[in-house]
Amino acid sequence: MKHVDTPTRPGEATSEIPDVEVTLNVNGDPYRMRLDSRVTLLDALRDHLGLTGAKKGCDQGACGACTVLVDGKRIVSCLALAAQYDGREITTLEGLTDDGEPHPLQKAFARHDAFQCGYCTPGQIMSAVSLQAEGRAGTDADICEFMSGNICRCGAYPNIRAAIRDVVSEANDASV
Amino acid sequence: MTTLEDPTRTVIGEGVDRVDAPLKTTGAAHYPNDYTYPGMVHAALVGSTIAAGRIRSIDASEAQRAPGVLTVITHLTAPQLERGPMTLLGPSPPAPMQDDRILHYGQHIAVVVADSPEQARHAASLVNVEYEPAEALLDIEDPRAEILENPWGLDSERGDVSAGFAQADVVVDERYTTPDNTNNPLGLFTSIASWHGDSVTVHDSTQWPHNVRTSIAQIFRIPESGVRVLAPFVGGGFGAGLRVWCHTILTAMAAREVKRPVKLVLTRPQMFTSVGHRPNSVQHIKIGATSSGDLTAIEHRAISSVAMEDDDYEPVAAGSAVAYECPNLLTHDRQARLNIPCPGSMRAPAEGQGNFALESAIDEVAHALGMDPLELRLRNYAEQHPVLGLPWSSKALRECYTLGAERFGWSRRTPAIGSMRDGDWLVGYGLAGVSYPFYQVPCQARASLRRDGSAYVTSAATDIGTGTYTVMTQLAAECLGLDLNRVRFDLGDSDMPYSPQAGGSGLTGALANAVHMACGNLVREFLDIVRDDDASPLRGAAAEEVTASGGRLHRTDAPDQGEAYTDILNRHGLEELSADGRSTPPDPQKIGMATAGAFGAKFVEVRIDPQLGLLRVARVVSAIDGGRILNEKTASSQITGGTVGGISQAMFEETATDAGTGRIANATFGDYLMPVNADIPDMEVIFCGGPDRATTVGTKGVGEVGLVGMAAAIGNAIHHATGRRLRSLPFTIDQLLL
Repeated sequence: MKHVDTPTRPGEATSEIPDVEVTLNVNGDPYRMRLDSRVTLLDALRDHLGLTGAKKGCDQGACGACTVLVDGKRIVSCLALAAQYDGREITTLEGLTDDGEPHPLQKAFARHDAFQCGYCTPGQIMSAVSLQAEGRAGTDADICEFMSGNICRCGAYPNIRAAIRDVVSEANDASV
Repeated sequence: MTTLEDPTRTVIGEGVDRVDAPLKTTGAAHYPNDYTYPGMVHAALVGSTIAAGRIRSIDASEAQRAPGVLTVITHLTAPQLERGPMTLLGPSPPAPMQDDRILHYGQHIAVVVADSPEQARHAASLVNVEYEPAEALLDIEDPRAEILENPWGLDSERGDVSAGFAQADVVVDERYTTPDNTNNPLGLFTSIASWHGDSVTVHDSTQWPHNVRTSIAQIFRIPESGVRVLAPFVGGGFGAGLRVWCHTILTAMAAREVKRPVKLVLTRPQMFTSVGHRPNSVQHIKIGATSSGDLTAIEHRAISSVAMEDDDYEPVAAGSAVAYECPNLLTHDRQARLNIPCPGSMRAPAEGQGNFALESAIDEVAHALGMDPLELRLRNYAEQHPVLGLPWSSKALRECYTLGAERFGWSRRTPAIGSMRDGDWLVGYGLAGVSYPFYQVPCQARASLRRDGSAYVTSAATDIGTGTYTVMTQLAAECLGLDLNRVRFDLGDSDMPYSPQAGGSGLTGALANAVHMACGNLVREFLDIVRDDDASPLRGAAAEEVTASGGRLHRTDAPDQGEAYTDILNRHGLEELSADGRSTPPDPQKIGMATAGAFGAKFVEVRIDPQLGLLRVARVVSAIDGGRILNEKTASSQITGGTVGGISQAMFEETATDAGTGRIANATFGDYLMPVNADIPDMEVIFCGGPDRATTVGTKGVGEVGLVGMAAAIGNAIHHATGRRLRSLPFTIDQLLL
C-alpha cells in the first residue's frame, strides 16, 4: 500500500473543507490517499499520483481527454470526485502496456498517425479500448458514433477510425 | 555531399511513423501542465465581469484569509511592468493589471496563489469587485468605433476598377460575413514559473519559446540568458501560442512574489478570453467578368474587429490580390476597435475569412455566366505573381485543379441546381481554389556527431502536432547519411539555437534549410579535420566531392574511398564535432522569382436533407502543392486536420458575444460547437508539384492551406444542391430549411 498525502503547510488547518480518506486501485496498485474532498479523480491521478497520461482539456466533461476506465468502463475523470471511487479499479493509459509491450491500439495509433499534438490521444485510446469491450467497434458507423465523445482539435478523426478498424480486424482474424 | 535529389535517398518523403509516437501513445509525452516542482503552488485568475469601465474597488481581504492562500495580487499591488517587445508578429500584449481600467470582459484583474489548485480557485471566487461600468463598443459596425485604415500597408490597387466593371457583362456585388472563432487547442494553456535569484525557468504552452524568453527578460528587466523557456510538447496551438499573453506574465510575477514555483492552468472558459481568437469580419466583394469568363475587375473591402489597445495582423482582403490574373483590382482592409479580448492568429488567419468571400463570389460569377466554376478558375489562372510581376518559385495549382477534379469525379457534376439526388438527400458538388501566402523568417540549428556515430540536432522550435520532430530527424538522417534511429532531433528549449514561431506555415521551410546547412557544415568540419590526414582516404576532399551514406563519408566518384565518422573522431581523439546552420528567407528581387506559399484545390460533396435542414459533408478531395513533402504521412495529416478545421469554420464554430455585456455566451465545450468523429468523413489528400525553387530544401508549409477553401467549397456545394447562396458563416440548420 502506498500512502500519498495532500501537501499542507505546518501549523495550519488545511481547509474548512473536510479531507477524505480514499483508496484508489490504479493500474493494479492500491494507493491510500488523504485528499481535499473537492479533488477530482483526474486531479488525484495527475497531481497526487503523478500519472499525467490522462489529460485535462475542458474540466467540464465535454472533451474526453481525461477518459479512464473504472471497473472496465470508460468515464470522464474530470467529472468524478476522487472520494466517490474508493476501492474501485481504475485503469489509465499508463496501465495499458503489458510488461512494456504496448497495447495493439497504442501501436495502431502510431502506425496510422491517429494524432497530431497528441493531447487527446490518451483519452482516445482509452475510449477505443472500451469501445471494443462494449462491442461497439463492429461497424464504421458505430466507431464514428461511439468515439464522438472524444474531441480531437487537430482533426485526426479519419486516422483514429483507421487505427481502431485495423485492431478490430486483427482481432477478428485472430479469432477465426 | 549528399544532395536531396539523390536517387538512392530513402528517408526523405517516406511516410515514416512519428518519432514521438511511442511517447504520445503511452502518456510519456509531457505537456506544460504535466510538470510539477517541489514546493510548487497554484494560481487562479479573476476575470472582469464587465467589458468596459473602471474598477471602483477591489476587496481581496476575504480571499486573502481563505485556507491555503499565499497572496492575492491586484492592480493595486502589482509591480509596475513594461510592455513586452515588438516582435516579428507585431507588438506584445499590453502589460496586465497596471491600472483600474477595464477594456474587455474576462480581463485578468486579480491573481490568487494558494497551496492547492482547489484552494486557489475557491479563493478567486471570494475576491469582491465593484465596477463603474461604461458602455461597451461590441458591434463591428458600430459607427462610434475607431477605425484603423490599411493597418499593415498591404492594400492593393492595380489598373482601373471602375473601367473594369464598366467592361463587365456580369457583376457580382455581395456582402459576406464571418464570425469570431476561438482557437481552442485541446491543451489548456499552462504556465509554470520557477525563480532562482534573478533567473527563471518557465514552462509554457507556446509556439515560440524564444519569444517568451525575450518577453519575460524585457518585462522583468533581467538578462535573456537568465530565462529558460521549455515547451517540448504543446497540446495544440492553432495560433493561440504565438504571443506571450498576460497569464504567462502574471505567473512569473506571482512566482517572484511568493518565492515559490507557481503553476497556472487556464480554465476552458478563460481560453475564450485570454489567448486570442479569429476576429469576425464583414466583407464587401465585387467581381466583374465578360460573358466569355475573363475577370475584368475585383474589389474586395473587409473590416475586422480588434481590441481597444492591442493589435492583430489580419489582412482579410489582401490575399485576393494574388489569387487571379485580373487587370483591375482593389483590396482594402480596415479594423474596428472594440471592447473585446484581443483577437490573434487562428489557423490560416485572414486567409480563412478572405478566401470564403472570394471563392464564393467566384462561384457566383460562374453561376451567373452559366460556366463551370472549374473552367472559370483555370481561365483566369495567374501564371505570374500578379503584384510582383515575377514568375512563381513554384506553382502547381493547375495540376491541383485537374488532378483533384479527376480524383473527385468533378465531370459527373450536372450543373443545374438540385439536379443531383440520392434518395431523399440533395447532393451538391463545390470547389474552391487556394493561394496561400509565403512566409519565412530566419532560423538556426545545430548538428553534432558523437563518438558512437549518433547525431544530435537541435533548434528551439516547437512541434505543435505538425511533425517537426519527425521530419527534421528524417532530414538530418538524410543529410548525414545515417539511419533514422541514429539521429535525435530535439526542440522546445530556448537554450537551443534560435527558432522562429511555429506559425504562418513558415517553420518547416525555415528550419529545414537551417538543419540542412548545419548538417552540411558538420560534414565540412569532418573534412577539415582530415584535410592533411595521410591516414584518411578523404584527405583533401571538398564537400562537393563527398557523399554521406551508411554512417560514413566517401568520395562520390569512388565509394570505396571513405571512412566512418567514428573512425575520424577516434583517430583524432575527439568526443564530438558540431556545426551550426542558419537560414534566411529568399528575396524575390534577388532570385527573380515570387516566393510561393502552398496552393490547393478543394473539392467537396455535400448532402442536404431539405426537410430537416441537415447538412453533411460526404466527401472531400484536397489537392495540394506543398513543394517538397518531407513525410507523406505527417503532411497528409496536416492537410486532413486543416480540412477538419475548415469544415468546422464552415458549419460549426461561432463564438457568441452577448450584445449587452460583452460576455462570451458559449465559452464551454458543451456550447461552442466543433466537429466530433461522426461529423467527419474519410477524406483524400493528393500532393501535386515538386520542390519549390526558392530554397535549398524546397518545402512549402502545409499547416494552414488545408483549412482554407473549405468554407467556400461547402457553400458552393450547398448552392449547387439547393440554389441557396449562404454568405454568412457558419452554415446552420436555420439557413438550410427549405
